Amino acid sequence: MTKINSGAIILSVLVMIVFCGTAFAGGPFGSPQPLSKESGGLRTAIGYWHYEDKFDDGTDHVIRQNQVYSEAAYGKGKAWEAYGRIGLSDLKISNAFRSTQPSTTTSKRDFEDNWNVFGTLGVKGFYPLNEIFGIGAFVQGTYFFRDADDNVYETAGGTSSHMKLRVTDLWDVNFGMGLQATVWRDTKLYAGPYIYYAEARVSPSPDTPGIQLGRRDETLQNKTNVGGFAGIDVPIAKGFRLNMEGQYSERFSAGAAITLVY
Amino acid sequence: MLSSKIRMMRRIFFLIFLIALLGAGYAHGDDTALMLHKSVLSDETGAAAASETVWNSEEGTGETHMSPVAPKSHDDEEAIDEEEEGQEMGEVTIADPLEFFNRAMFQFNDKLYFWVVKPVAQGYSKVVPEIGRSSIKNFFSNLGFPKRFISCLFQADFSGAATELGRFVVNTVWGIGGLLDPAANKDLSLQKQNADIGQTLGRYGLGHGFYVVWPVFGPSSLRDTIDIVGEHFQYPFTYTDPWYVGPSVRACESVNSASLRIGDYEALKEAAIDPYVALRNAYAQYRQKMVQKKEKGEAPAPDGEKPEQRIFQ
Repeated sequence: MTKINSGAIILSVLVMIVFCGTAFAGGPFGSPQPLSKESGGLRTAIGYWHYEDKFDDGTDHVIRQNQVYSEAAYGKGKAWEAYGRIGLSDLKISNAFRSTQPSTTTSKRDFEDNWNVFGTLGVKGFYPLNEIFGIGAFVQGTYFFRDADDNVYETAGGTSSHMKLRVTDLWDVNFGMGLQATVWRDTKLYAGPYIYYAEARVSPSPDTPGIQLGRRDETLQNKTNVGGFAGIDVPIAKGFRLNMEGQYSERFSAGAAITLVY
Repeated sequence: MLSSKIRMMRRIFFLIFLIALLGAGYAHGDDTALMLHKSVLSDETGAAAASETVWNSEEGTGETHMSPVAPKSHDDEEAIDEEEEGQEMGEVTIADPLEFFNRAMFQFNDKLYFWVVKPVAQGYSKVVPEIGRSSIKNFFSNLGFPKRFISCLFQADFSGAATELGRFVVNTVWGIGGLLDPAANKDLSLQKQNADIGQTLGRYGLGHGFYVVWPVFGPSSLRDTIDIVGEHFQYPFTYTDPWYVGPSVRACESVNSASLRIGDYEALKEAAIDPYVALRNAYAQYRQKMVQKKEKGEAPAPDGEKPEQRIFQ
């Protein structure tokens, strides 16, 4: 029985990953079933999330972030849970400072900034189909509180100038559904599709036409809106659990968190 | 800059330690000792028992004796036996040569509490719900980790030190910076170790010295005054700039703490014939109990188990 279930789960995970298209996301979604105690209670977690995706402004820009965060959640009945995260992240945007004119050279190609504070809020609900399987849905949003900025020097026709690029109002919202199987010793395997939207405003100062993101104020958006996720949540000991999750789009994002349920 | 602070800290510690050592003998002399019976704030009777105590105070001599214990009437051997037996029963001795000063400071603190701290704490408790105040208390309690951890190490209580370290890590990481106390849940059961420098010195046989009431800080003894100084240096906000951040945070902590135990001090005061004496007895017994518990290797009591204990925390 367990072997059949495990096989079915692995197959469904693979199907999700292959057919769910591409997108990016701002953090892990966790198991569809809330981890908080059935009678109601808190759980907290710390985690790391490596995030990659593509933003589009006519040219693809790969976004990379390394996020560390602390999470607190309250749930009841193993049926619903509300959670919040606060964390720190770096931000790297490839080709942000790429020269768009042959006569122009720039001191660097990529935008980089550290220590951006972000917050995430989410809710999830779960419906058990039987003792092993269940389905759940969630909605989750993230906002970066601190503006990110970086400087670049442009040289055009022997003249050097300086440009500062600010990235503001970086936010995202995710909605997804997940299928979960609870296997040996309360280990939860899960996978599902999600839809997603994200945007960020970029503001160069001064406007610098020879640089990719330096031409004008504009809003970057994620290139695609659909993705797939899969993960595993394993009990460790004394209320601690380890969660590992991956999300696949044009780029792959993954992370892990250690949760304490109490 | 940091090394000069450390040097200064070491000098102050050494000086205080020296003074305490010199004064430590005070508590053990028959003539100067204040002998208290177990009835005062004992586990069974609680704060109300303080009012039932009978006192004979010989003012002016700096000596205070309390019935029914009178060691002078026995020969040395009997007195020692009786004292040892009394110690086991919970008899506590503390000298009070500064009673005049202490009573003045007691009045000052009393007025400070009723005129300033309590009204502010009551207003604060109307604005901030109890769950928020408890979280803030947890946060400050978590900041007290260095004091408790170091004290456990000095007491060679490595199990206690490990528990404290575990608590600090769990509460800081999974308790949202210490706002929550997941370490105390039944799965982990990492209880706070009520260890401090005064208790550490007590475990090594150092007596109270004598009773002293400090303005703002409240009841203490010569030995436990070292704890006040030591805690100052082990408190993380001590090292923040500008200088007034530390005291301001302390004030906030005190108001928050007071808001969670309004009524405890009032109950003790109302039940006592002489609140000053009742508080002194309660303090002496509470500190003695803390030292004895550590000596016996007993598990620490849950935080704020009894009103009279919460007063001193």
